[in-house]
Amino acid sequence: MKVLIVEDDVDTADFIKRGLEQHGEIAHHVTSAQKGMLQASSSEFDVIIFDRLLPNMDGIDAVRILRGSNITTPIIMLTALGETTDRVAGLDAGADDYLVKPFDFSELYARLKALTRRTPLKQEALSLSVGDLVLERTARKVTRSGQVLDLNPKEYQILEYLMLNPGQLVTKTMLLEKVWGFNFDPRTSLVQTHVSRLRNKVDKPFTIELIKTIRGCGYILSDHD
Amino acid sequence: MIKHLKPYDFVNALVITGVLFILSSSLFALGAGFVVHSISQSQVEELNAFSTEIKEQFQEHGLDWLLDDLELDQRPVWNRAESLVRLDEHDNLFKVVQSGVLLLGSELIFDADDVATWQTLSLGSDQEFELLTLRVDLDDALFVTILQPRSYEATLVSSAFLQWYAFVSLPLLGGLFTLVLIRIFQQQKQTAQIKSTLLQIAKSPDSKRLPVSKKQSRENDIANSINMMLDDITDLHGTMKTMSVGIAHDLKTPLSRVANRLQSMQHDISDPSLIETHLTHASSDLNSVISTFNNLVRLNSIESGQHKDRFIKINLSDLIDDLAQSYEPVFEDSGRTLVRSTVSEVYCVGDPDLISQLICNLLENALEYSDTGAQVWVRLQSHTGSALLQIGDDGPGIPEVDQPHVFDRFYRGDISRGRPGNGLGLSIVQAICQVHGANLTLLTNQTGAVFNIEVPISK
Repeated sequence: MKVLIVEDDVDTADFIKRGLEQHGEIAHHVTSAQKGMLQASSSEFDVIIFDRLLPNMDGIDAVRILRGSNITTPIIMLTALGETTDRVAGLDAGADDYLVKPFDFSELYARLKALTRRTPLKQEALSLSVGDLVLERTARKVTRSGQVLDLNPKEYQILEYLMLNPGQLVTKTMLLEKVWGFNFDPRTSLVQTHVSRLRNKVDKPFTIELIKTIRGCGYILSDHD
Repeated sequence: MIKHLKPYDFVNALVITGVLFILSSSLFALGAGFVVHSISQSQVEELNAFSTEIKEQFQEHGLDWLLDDLELDQRPVWNRAESLVRLDEHDNLFKVVQSGVLLLGSELIFDADDVATWQTLSLGSDQEFELLTLRVDLDDALFVTILQPRSYEATLVSSAFLQWYAFVSLPLLGGLFTLVLIRIFQQQKQTAQIKSTLLQIAKSPDSKRLPVSKKQSRENDIANSINMMLDDITDLHGTMKTMSVGIAHDLKTPLSRVANRLQSMQHDISDPSLIETHLTHASSDLNSVISTFNNLVRLNSIESGQHKDRFIKINLSDLIDDLAQSYEPVFEDSGRTLVRSTVSEVYCVGDPDLISQLICNLLENALEYSDTGAQVWVRLQSHTGSALLQIGDDGPGIPEVDQPHVFDRFYRGDISRGRPGNGLGLSIVQAICQVHGANLTLLTNQTGAVFNIEVPISK
């Protein structure tokens, strides 16, 4: 994965760059919106990390200009402003995701992976499967080894999202956003409770554990160890 | 409209009525003056015509015939007193003089011109008469002088108006003028007082207030409003102080723990498992600092009303059902039960994200502070114009001393100290209610903590 980082704070940029390189990704860092736009239009990147508050230019305007000149590279915006209205403004300008500082590197990485892996075909696939687990989206029916699993609506939505991103880390915040539509963080273990119930239905009766917990980070659905 | 009027508005109305009254009576006076003037004018014209007439009659028929015609053939002579009585009774006076000798008529002496002229004559008495005088020369030696008092109607109209002005209008005008002067003086005094007090208030805004007398007046109303505003500012000031202390406290505690952990890490640098523990703790402490900041930013953004741009029509029943369903297993796992009873198809206008947070915060509060085994309920009832959302638990509830402060920022009752959270949850709930025009109350005399929210509904 080739990543462009547009970020004026060198510490934050180094933190992201080091993290990406540890995961074997290639990262290129620039410090201004102008350079960022130039790089984005002249070389091929898989994903761009754009800071919202840059000297001389609002990241949102830069993203709007990039989208206006037909650059479709996925963009994730970073910001110190944590408000829903700012998030909406970022997404309206053409960003694909929005992450509030400070963040866990694993959160950013999970989102980068989700953005680069996105293919239109997969989003609309009628049936998803991981190992012997099959989810039929039109019938909203889930089976494992041919056995029908009885899931409630939230459990179904969580599983669907995990199955759209197999083998990838899905964080608690991502689930809160995608399944519940929350832009705030409830104090309680809402996500954990539902995932643990889902796991009881999906994994408990079977030998191979498909939903793995990455402590402090999130969940991975995979039929490999 | 009447009920909004204050007593001082009636005083103003009275002054305006008085002024209008004087203005309209002056208009009437103008009209009357015109009437009097035209009556006098016609008297002059009539008398001039009369002069021509008697000249012609004298030349044609002689003096005797003329006197006969004037009904003066008795050749009366009126002395001064008789003359004055006649004038008083609005009768004409004649005087016929031949070669300097009074033939007949009044003995009064006065000048007259050969055209009718108005004169004010005292005629030797205290009284003054306004008289139309005319001298008609019949031949070289003989002349007639006529004295005609002002017509009865003209006198009546002008005297009536004079009396009206003397006894009604002028005193009224004087009264009004005095009233206005007094009011201007009072206003100036009070304005000066407000000004000087305001300057003092600027120096100590929390203690000083504008003086308000019991009397109802516009200035008192303004002073009252200013005092109310000052009270609000003082409250805000107080909130700000509490907030700064709260922020300082909420940040200082976790930050000093992080500092301690860093020192410990230096000490335990050779032991990877201890380093791991320190890291986990330091990270969780820092997360609580960040969470406090996020909540403050969120609270601020909710209060600024910027979310209002994104208000949409929400099916409140569905939203509550969905959230309650999500929370049921969380309650179940903690040994509590969540009971849900909602009427369907209740709609309101708002931001779904905020409404969700409102319900989550109250549910989490119940989860956090109710006894294990407690029953927690969510109810949605529909009334006309509003819906009542109630979220409550059956114990142990909020101590009475804490009840008035539960919505204050960073306020944490003794019971909640040492538990996670930052004392902003209920402040956020209140801010969300405010921006949606909903009324939030904590019910008193309950076994548990019961919150009522009255939400305006949309058809």
